[in-house]
Amino acid sequence: MNLVFYSGGTEEENLEVDEECLHLLDNPNPTMVFIPSSSYDGEYEFRHFVRHYQTFGITRFLYFPVDVPQDNVLLKEVFQSDLIHLDGGNTYYFLNCLRKRGYLAFLKEFALSGGVLSGLSAGGIIMTPNIKTAGYPDFDCDENEDGVTNLRGMNLVKFEFFPHYKNSLRYDRELRKQSRLTKNPIFALPDGSGIIKTEESMQFVGKAWCFHQGVKTLINT
Amino acid sequence: MTRLKKNSLKRLPEEGGFRPTSRTYSKFNRIDGRHPFQKATKDSFVAYRARVRHGGEVVAFNFDLAREMGLIPKNHPNVMTDELKDAILDTFAIVIINEYDQINNIEYPKEDIKPHFYMATRYLQLQHPNKQGKTSGDGRSIWNGYLESKNGIWDISSCGTGATCLSPATHIQKKFFQTGDPSISYGCGYAELDEGVSTLFFSEILHKNQVTTERVLGILKFPDGFAITIRAHNNLLRPSHMFNHLKQGNLEALKMVVDYYIERQEKNGVWTDMPREKNKRYDKFLEKQTEVFAKTAAKFEDEYIFCWLDWDGDNVLMDGGIIDYGSVRQFGLFHSEYRFDDNDRYSTSITEQKNKAKYTVQNFAQIVDFLKTGERKPLKEFAQTGWSNEFDRVFEMSKLKNLLYKIGFNKETRDALVDKHYELVKDFQKVFSYFERAKSVAGPKEVNDGITWDAIFCMRDILRELPQLYLSRGESISREEFIEILKSSYALEEDLALSSYRKKRVDEFQVLYWQLIKAGATIKKSTINTVLLDITMRSSVINKYDRVTGDSITTITNMLMEKIDKMAPEKLYRLLHNFSEYQNLDPDTDKNLDKNQWRKSQLMRGFLKVVREYREGL
Repeated sequence: MNLVFYSGGTEEENLEVDEECLHLLDNPNPTMVFIPSSSYDGEYEFRHFVRHYQTFGITRFLYFPVDVPQDNVLLKEVFQSDLIHLDGGNTYYFLNCLRKRGYLAFLKEFALSGGVLSGLSAGGIIMTPNIKTAGYPDFDCDENEDGVTNLRGMNLVKFEFFPHYKNSLRYDRELRKQSRLTKNPIFALPDGSGIIKTEESMQFVGKAWCFHQGVKTLINT
Repeated sequence: MTRLKKNSLKRLPEEGGFRPTSRTYSKFNRIDGRHPFQKATKDSFVAYRARVRHGGEVVAFNFDLAREMGLIPKNHPNVMTDELKDAILDTFAIVIINEYDQINNIEYPKEDIKPHFYMATRYLQLQHPNKQGKTSGDGRSIWNGYLESKNGIWDISSCGTGATCLSPATHIQKKFFQTGDPSISYGCGYAELDEGVSTLFFSEILHKNQVTTERVLGILKFPDGFAITIRAHNNLLRPSHMFNHLKQGNLEALKMVVDYYIERQEKNGVWTDMPREKNKRYDKFLEKQTEVFAKTAAKFEDEYIFCWLDWDGDNVLMDGGIIDYGSVRQFGLFHSEYRFDDNDRYSTSITEQKNKAKYTVQNFAQIVDFLKTGERKPLKEFAQTGWSNEFDRVFEMSKLKNLLYKIGFNKETRDALVDKHYELVKDFQKVFSYFERAKSVAGPKEVNDGITWDAIFCMRDILRELPQLYLSRGESISREEFIEILKSSYALEEDLALSSYRKKRVDEFQVLYWQLIKAGATIKKSTINTVLLDITMRSSVINKYDRVTGDSITTITNMLMEKIDKMAPEKLYRLLHNFSEYQNLDPDTDKNLDKNQWRKSQLMRGFLKVVREYREGL
């Protein structure tokens, strides 16, 4: 299993996470799949994604929006690729689309069979046991316009992921509170930071904090 | 939750303390009925007095267009200030004082009567009993005037401003109608609100996709439920504005209209190479119109735009722009047998538009000869003169370039491919066309507003997926996979059979596609993968899964109509802006939209579902 969690931020801020991510690939000419959180402007996000990873010498990309029907040909190709990237956006909408079309099981299978699965923000949250972190704090959360009630994620790891974290009292107050309500540790990462999780190890890139049972700990500097 | 981007969104102007001054809306005062066409032409319009129509409300205002026209300042926020609302209503909430009013000596308060005359223009219309255009033209519209700004000269007209003597009803029933007469629908001179809303959305989407069209500046609503739709374009003349004079042999009037048109195109910087000598100008005019109509016909066909071009030149502007969205559609597939049922006749089909466009140019050829010689020769004499070959040439080249555009090649490569690999592009076009035009074994059938025969393959899907799959695999896909991607929801099992002939065509399609990619790589001096990747990105935009169709616009309009009474113009504008940006499938422009805004609007979410549901329809 090779998982990469991106918190967010600019392309420059994420270069280190990108490099660690690309190290996980064992194909010298890999195919990368971009899955946007919605197809509304997904093609433009895809363009940004391609332009960025082209700078690392990657030349093969697939675009796979999940809120529109897809044929089996592209579907099979996607799950035979080397890396699937779940992009950022509204976590509820994204999860709902993935679940409705039955892609969550495919993605889990992909990750468990050795494919590299990366998730940015919402995409990363979906890889965890649940997507509760998308719902707080009130001042910086996703809106659940679609009324999604099943908040279970892919459960690929035993932690929860809180992206775009800002080291401040008002975030901490909420995170300490929420960490008391879950048995999982919550890893809170500011933009530019990331987590690389393999079968054997877990590595943090950039600053990272852990909130567990109301306690905040700096786990990487 | 999303990644922040370096290139932050270009913000739309918001309220932010904007305070209009006494001059902010002064440009509206220039729109008072007067128009250069009135002085430059004769026998080309009927002049009407107009009066204030009370009780109007502004339902929609296209802030983007108003800024582009220079009607409001560039920094004007997307906010309907009280002063703006007043300016719109003062300028556009009018109704003509027509023949019925005059015959019946109906009097109106002096202060309600506008100081200048407004014109209803005369033009040829096939639905009129008189086939020379002696009695036809703007039946329920008047021209509000024009506006000169840094972005050129704009014509502004309004639909729903009262019954004119040029409506078909007046001449069929041989009487003048009172505006709003409930005994007659179209002839009553008023317009429906949903027509305006539909035109507003449809035209703005097509405009963003580089289709020339009239645009809606605003929509007003009145207590009786009727509406006025305000339309604007750089030049609102139609071929039919000339064809009436041609049919009547009115040389003087014809010359004036043609001269006026040429001059406007020059003033707007559209035509920059017009000779000074009179006859040479007319020759150039024909050359330009040939090119415009050949390109327009090709564009309509390739973008699956059904516009009912016909011999009268009424449903299209002189510059090939779309006008009157009543029967305009955009198909999801190439439903080339669809015909609109207009009560007493069926429309042309999408593939017949080319010949109608050509016929329109034949009329221009007759016009030019008439202007040069003073003698009106029979139209048939102009069927095969020089322009005809040029039309076919431009049409064919445009079709080839349009196809290369849809594949995803950029302009430079398109031009070079057609120039250096003409036969290859042509061969690909043939095989592409075979799949595009394939019809269901179910045969022709009736639909709610006409007849059709279902197309079965979605070319947009194969063009979107093929470069990605080639990029990923480095080789062709199987025949079965090809059909799996291509099949539409209209296809029956029998439609998809892989006969030996079809297998050959699938193979041919892929071989030629690869050759085009290789040729593109040679032209760009890059690798095949680089070209495929570039095409993958461009094609994902051009051939986006969701594209509006006529049916989806109709459904979206119905959804809007249920909420429009309580909707502020600002909100309608935001919907328009976000929806049309989402439907902007031009890969060479950057979208200006906020990633998460659409989800916050229940209506917008509904629109997206509708587009998806009807994406293969009519």
